[in-house]
Amino acid sequence: MNFDAPLIRKLAPSMRRALIVTFVALVIAVALISFAILPTRARLKKLASEIDVLNADLASVRADIAATDRQKDKTAALAAQRDAFLESGVIEPLLGSFAMRGKALLDPFAQETGFNIETVKELPLIPLQVPSPAPLQLYGRQPVEFSGRGSYTQITAFISYAERALPLATLSSLLILGQPQNPEIHKALITFEWPAKGEKRKP
Amino acid sequence: MRKPLHLDLLKDEERLSASPIRLRVMLPVFSLLAALGIAVWWSVLVARAHTLGLQKAGLENAIAELKPAHTSLLALRAEEQDTAATLKQLAYYKNARVVFGETFAKLADHVPEKVQFTELRVPPPPPLPPQDPKKPLLGPTNPVERVTLRLAGRTSGPEPVNALFQTLRTPAFTNLIRSAEIPKGAFRQDTARNAANRETLLFELTCECAPRRFE
Repeated sequence: MNFDAPLIRKLAPSMRRALIVTFVALVIAVALISFAILPTRARLKKLASEIDVLNADLASVRADIAATDRQKDKTAALAAQRDAFLESGVIEPLLGSFAMRGKALLDPFAQETGFNIETVKELPLIPLQVPSPAPLQLYGRQPVEFSGRGSYTQITAFISYAERALPLATLSSLLILGQPQNPEIHKALITFEWPAKGEKRKP
Repeated sequence: MRKPLHLDLLKDEERLSASPIRLRVMLPVFSLLAALGIAVWWSVLVARAHTLGLQKAGLENAIAELKPAHTSLLALRAEEQDTAATLKQLAYYKNARVVFGETFAKLADHVPEKVQFTELRVPPPPPLPPQDPKKPLLGPTNPVERVTLRLAGRTSGPEPVNALFQTLRTPAFTNLIRSAEIPKGAFRQDTARNAANRETLLFELTCECAPRRFE
């Protein structure tokens, strides 16, 4: 900035004082606008938007809390549905063994049909398709292999009885082999599978 | 000769303009008033900001007070979602259930006299494809599992087997068996038996059953 000193000096002292006061007042005004008004307005804008968000949050939290009883009922109803499903045929190991559980479940049908179970073997768990979002507790397909002997009628009756009485038992694989030395009695390898608990996922 | 004499005894600052508004007074007054006005505006804004700050703190407190109740509600919602996901996964299993017993029982009544089964096989589920160790999956991604049935046995000729093949395509079996075929080279001589039984043929039938749909 270039001041014309002789021109200022030529002015009357009262005029010079007036100009100086005006200049100082204007500098103060500009400084106030730049360093106080504008930042305060920005802060106000930010505060107003934060308050809007908080008001919306509060309204939503209050609405959520008002619906707690309904949510409790909904959660309990679904849990009851799940428990009913689990009780309908999701198997758990008996004395740590799925083979024992399978034998305990199918022995009555074997006795009823005359199918002679010789051995029972637990096969590795087959993972089940996972929905999205995935549940924390995953379930899988637990196959249990029964080997035994019986006539074709006994074998098919054994399978039919199990399928009718155990709504979640599914025939996973089957091998019926004829025996030339005894055509009436066949050797059978019957694998049934049930849903069973798999691994537990970390949330 | 007369000459006018002009004596200027006024100092510069004593010189007054003809206008009643004096610039040297009004300029600083207006600028000071402007500065004052801006300062007042600022103080109003500061007061408003303070009020809004109090309002914000009040809202935050109100939300914080409701937090325990809200957290328990969110936990209930998460539990509901998890239970729904469990039910969905178990439903995949239930929907994929295929029943064999009744069909196998009926099969015995439809086997022609000159057919004797030596083997009936439903193969186990196919093994899962190898996992990518970098991105292990929680479960299989293919929702459909193929189910097949293989029948093998002895017969006196192709006609009884063809009759059985036609039977498998009747409504009594189509709920389980979707298609059946006699593979090429399915008939061959039973060389393992003695010469008297050389007329016996070994045969094979393969059937495609209803697939298991895990969805």
